[in-house]
Amino acid sequence: MTGTLHRPHTLQPPPFAPLLGRMVLAGLVAGALAGIYSLLVTERAIAPALDLEETRAAAERGAHDHGGALFSRGEQLVGGFLGTLLAGVVLAVVFAAVYALVRHRLPGHTDLARVCLLAGIGFGIFALLPALKIPANPPAVGDPATVGTRTAVYGAVLLCGIVSAMLVAALVSFLRSRAVSTAATATVAVGTLAVLLGLVLGLLPGSPDPIAADVPADVVWDFRVASLGQLAVLWTTLGLAGGWLVD
Amino acid sequence: MTSLQHAQPSSAHTRIQVPAWAWALTLLAIFALYLVAQDNGVVLAQFGDTAHEFFHDARHSLGMPCH
Repeated sequence: MTGTLHRPHTLQPPPFAPLLGRMVLAGLVAGALAGIYSLLVTERAIAPALDLEETRAAAERGAHDHGGALFSRGEQLVGGFLGTLLAGVVLAVVFAAVYALVRHRLPGHTDLARVCLLAGIGFGIFALLPALKIPANPPAVGDPATVGTRTAVYGAVLLCGIVSAMLVAALVSFLRSRAVSTAATATVAVGTLAVLLGLVLGLLPGSPDPIAADVPADVVWDFRVASLGQLAVLWTTLGLAGGWLVD
Repeated sequence: MTSLQHAQPSSAHTRIQVPAWAWALTLLAIFALYLVAQDNGVVLAQFGDTAHEFFHDARHSLGMPCH
């Protein structure tokens, strides 16, 4: 494998297979770190919400009994870690393919810089934007009847984020091809992105679920901050570890 | 660490060829993510519930809509 890596002074682009392998390794590390973060931080924010669900279930027996029946809490902690690990690996596979597609268009002189930039864009689209429009909710919040609607909104937010990023990238390419100055290009790009994101946040519907009166605001807030932190750990590690390995 | 691409200006702006199998793998990866993240028994039927409950905390903490 490494034999194909050294191709100095040729126009051959780097081969895809080693890129994929290294990104998957980075995804494994990113998923593991985010999983550890989840056990140390996010689970602590989930615990009070589960207590609430217990209280409710005790009040009306036989209602939607969540988590208790199929898996114990200990098993769900393992599942939470494994799910996050799996998400890191799967994300890395998709990341490697997208990176191979757009690498020659990303600014930056090293692969480290480019991978980190793409990971930053990924965090913006797949973590920050949904966190603003349809933020994560702990257990005990969320009406099972509206999960379809919420999933559709979530998907629409991601799609709008991807389209916005592509539009701004196309705009930047166009302006650069017309030899527009860097300052003017940056200004137009930031302005356009602000307008596009404003439209996404303003026009798309939000979550249809009200937060029940028995859920304290800080339970929801703590969980949302913990969730965003976990996604930040995932994307930051994917960018830094992936960039370091690929560079 | 061997160097995959050390900022050689010659190849910095050439495309990386993505082989066809990589796209198949990417689709498979997205499908796997969908199964873990969103499938509430739609594709996996009975096993979907099991997967849903097992990966429950991961889904919540990664910010995906849940139940």
